[in-house]
This record gives sequence, C-alpha cells and structure tokens, in this order.
Amino acid sequence: MKKTVGIIGAGTMGGGIAQVAALAGFDVLLHDVSGDALKASMERIKGDLRKSMQTGRATASDATGALTRIRPRREFNDLGAADVVIEAAVEDLEVKKEIFRALDQIVAPRAILATNTSSLSITSIGSLTKTPESVVGMHFFNPPAQMKLVEIVRGSQTSDETVRTVYEMALAMGKTPVFCSDTPGFIVNRVARPFYGEALRLLGEGTATAEQIDRIVRLSGGFRMGPFELMDMIGIDVNYAVTKSVYEQFFHEPRFRPHPIQRRMVEAGTLGRKTGLGFYRYE
Amino acid sequence: MNRPRDTEAKRCVFIAGESPLAEEYASACVGAGMEVAVRFNAGSGGKLPAGAVRRARAGKKDTLGIELTNTSRETKRKNLADMDRALPSGTPILSASAATTVAEQSAWVRAPERLIGIAALPSLLQGTLVEIAPSLPAGRQAIEASQRFFRELGKETSVVQDSPGMVLPRILCMLVNEASFALGEGIARRGDIDTAMTLGTNYPLGPLAWGMKIGLEQVRAVLEGLRREFGEERYRTAPLLSRGTLEGSAERSAGAPPTHSQKQRGNRP
Repeated sequence: MKKTVGIIGAGTMGGGIAQVAALAGFDVLLHDVSGDALKASMERIKGDLRKSMQTGRATASDATGALTRIRPRREFNDLGAADVVIEAAVEDLEVKKEIFRALDQIVAPRAILATNTSSLSITSIGSLTKTPESVVGMHFFNPPAQMKLVEIVRGSQTSDETVRTVYEMALAMGKTPVFCSDTPGFIVNRVARPFYGEALRLLGEGTATAEQIDRIVRLSGGFRMGPFELMDMIGIDVNYAVTKSVYEQFFHEPRFRPHPIQRRMVEAGTLGRKTGLGFYRYE
Repeated sequence: MNRPRDTEAKRCVFIAGESPLAEEYASACVGAGMEVAVRFNAGSGGKLPAGAVRRARAGKKDTLGIELTNTSRETKRKNLADMDRALPSGTPILSASAATTVAEQSAWVRAPERLIGIAALPSLLQGTLVEIAPSLPAGRQAIEASQRFFRELGKETSVVQDSPGMVLPRILCMLVNEASFALGEGIARRGDIDTAMTLGTNYPLGPLAWGMKIGLEQVRAVLEGLRREFGEERYRTAPLLSRGTLEGSAERSAGAPPTHSQKQRGNRP
C-alpha cells in the first residue's frame, strides 16, 4: 500500500481529505501556497477531530495520531516525497494544468497523481504529464469526512494498476469507491441533473411553486431534501456552473440545458443560503 | 338531497386499471375500510387484495371511480368512458395522470368537471402525500372530494397544475432515464450508478433500482407523455429503457478495471 499522500489545496475539500487519509494511517503532506490557508485548515481539522472524539467516532489516540501525521507544507517541491498526490485546488483547468506539469517534474516515476476535480477531464489533465497512465480522478464529496462516496475516474490512458491502487486507498479510508469512465459530470453530477432541471422547468411553467415541489419530492418521493432547498444549500451559482459545464461538455445536449431562472438568480446575487436569499429566505 | 355522494356512510370505490397500480390502490382502500371493486385491464394480470371484489363495471352505488392506467392510452380512454357512463353524475373520477394530461383525458368523458388527475405510479402510494391535478372545469366539490378520499387513506394532497408527468413522476422518470443513458453508454456499472446516487446525493433509492420498482414500462409511458406534449429532444427515452431491460451492458464498463477472471480469460492463448 502506498504510504505517503500529498494533498494540494488546503480548502474544505483538501483539508477534509487530509483528515480522512491521516485517520486511515497515511502520512499526509498538506500543501497550499497560502500559509494562512494552511493554518486555518489545520485549525478546522483539529476542531473536527475533537468533535469526532466527543461523539465517539474516533478515539483520543486515533485523533492525536492523525494530527501528527498531517504535515502542512508551503513548499511545493516537498510533495516530491509522496507516493500518491491528490490535487484539490480550485476548479480551473488552467490552474490544474500548471499543477500537473509541475508535479510531473518532482514526483517519483511510479507515483500516482489523482485529482479531486468534479467536472474537468482526467484525460486532458493526464495528457500534460509524462505518465498519463498514473493520472486518475478521485472525486470526494463535501464534506469528505462525512460523505462515504468516492468516484474513481479513469482517463483514457489510466492504467488498471493506478485504478486499483486508488480504489484500495479509498477503501482503507473507509470510503465506498465506485468506478466511472471519464465522461462529463462522471456519475453523480450527471445523473442528478434532471432533479434540478425538471424542477426548474416545472417552476418556470407554473405547474407548482418551489415550496410545493420540494414538499411533493420529500413526502411523496421520500427524498431527504427537495430540489430547491438543495440548490439553496449547494449555492445557485455552484449548481448553475455544474449544469453549464455538463451541458457544454456534452455539446449542448438538450437534457442538460440550464434554466433561465438559475441564470437570473446568479445575476441577481441571490445564491441561496450563503446570501440569505435564494428560492427561500433565510434569517 | 344535494349531499355530495362521497360523504355517505360507507365509501364504495370502483377501480379499473393495470397491475400493480390497481392492487396498490385497492389494498390501501380496503385498509381504510372502504368497499372496493376492481377490474384489471385485460392482459395486465393483477392479484385481488383480500377484502376487495372483482367487478366488470362501475355501478350506481359507487361513490368514487379510480382509473389507473398509464401504459395504454386506448385502454385508459375506454375505461374512463365506461366509468363516465356508469357512475352517477357528480361522482368524482380520479385518474392516473402521470403519462397523459388531464386536459387530454377531459375530451374522453362527457363530464370532465368531475375528473381529477392523480400522480399515480407504482410504489408512490407509500409516501404520505399525493399530488392531484384537477381538470380545467373541475369544481370545488370534486377537488374537495378527492382530498377527503386521500385523507381517509392517511395522505395529504398537493394541488398542482395539469402538466405531463405532473411533478414527482416527471422528475423521477427523468432521473431513471438519465441513469439508463449513463448505463447504456457504459460509463459505470449498474450497482455503482445506484451506489453513487444514494451515497453522493442522499437519494432514498438508486435511480436504476427505482426504475425497476416502478416498472420500466411505466417509466417509458411517462417519458413518452412528456415527449408527446413538449415535442422536445430532451424527453427522448434512453435506448436501454426502450429495449425494456437494464441488463446487458451492465457489466461492460469502461471505468472498472478487469476482474481477475476476466484478465485470465484475456490472457489465455
């Protein structure tokens, strides 16, 4: 089993993945160019581990052990020691390309380069490295400490060995990995599109109100949340961006077409819970 | 004398339709202490729940008619016309409207003012709420009568506008459709698609398993209804659904590495 995991990006996803990996016994190098981001991330991880101890999800020795296994690193070149690198930087192809080009220069030839991208092509990212067979998608869900799912995404040149290694790593982290080929939105972000898209159309056509649709979906369908509550929670802008990305990558397949209501709300800055106003008002 | 018929002491429900939808409604009605007569569509099979009786047509004593056919417009049309003739005026008719709009069905009966659409698909009656869509000329009396009926079954109602697939059937069947496209394209294995959706988005059931539970023929009928009404490419049925099975390509996935046995087979000279 690969032992040292490098993680790029100390945001919610990167920090969460670092925590999960360290709890599973991996040595973690957590990299971010910003010292403040690293500090904040370590604080979040500490707080979360403390909570895990209080609720009995982790023992005190697990938690302290995990914490000592995470080493924050500002120096990019330190990632050269990693057996597996998981990139969790911003969702921007240019940024990721630059990271993978640079990684390619510093890691060992057999190292695995994984990306936590939710929407970019693994094949395209892999093509920038000397070893595209070692590049793979490892899509965690937010928050990584709680969400069990990891989509393991195989680019067109990814090797079976690479896929197996990250599969076993995900299992060791207590996750439920699923395999997926490198297609827009992978599984979840693609298959979930109609949940929002049809709901928005129903609203736009005046078939029912947002509150009604949410209630029907919950009480009649047994879903935990209705589409509008969920969009408010995710952020209308984030949901709109995912929809647009899947739509464009599928060459404007009509099933994925975004809805004008989404765009209007993004333009208005009513983005859901985080702005206090979305499909619902939040106090 | 003008008392609405459905408030009489014992509710007598006549159900015509396909299996398993008709069974589900019949057993819910029996469970709520109603007198239930059922006529299953020819060729649809169907097991009569204990306490219900078989009857060929609606009668003067019935206080409510329920038509539960999604997959055949012809049969639905005939069932509705029969009920419309046999039931006394003012007796409400609830009609499964997941695949056919209430507006379209209104043209099939003489008294559309008593016609109320319901979002009926197999297994949805397990929920605690039922969507209803009144026909355009439906009066308050018919709407209230159907709400009273569902209250007796322990369900609340939500009144939505008449639209193909109504709310939940449309969203649900489009989820099943998208998952079927994904499966058919071999992007992931069948079990992995369902696992991803239950764990990644907290859906109560994976869309492919849900499609099987509802019945692929029912899902197809809802999608065809949407396609007919909107005429949009968006609502075309996934090839696997058209073929009527989710088997076949299920294990041919580009994402998963070959299993040990597959590899061995491949290496054999």
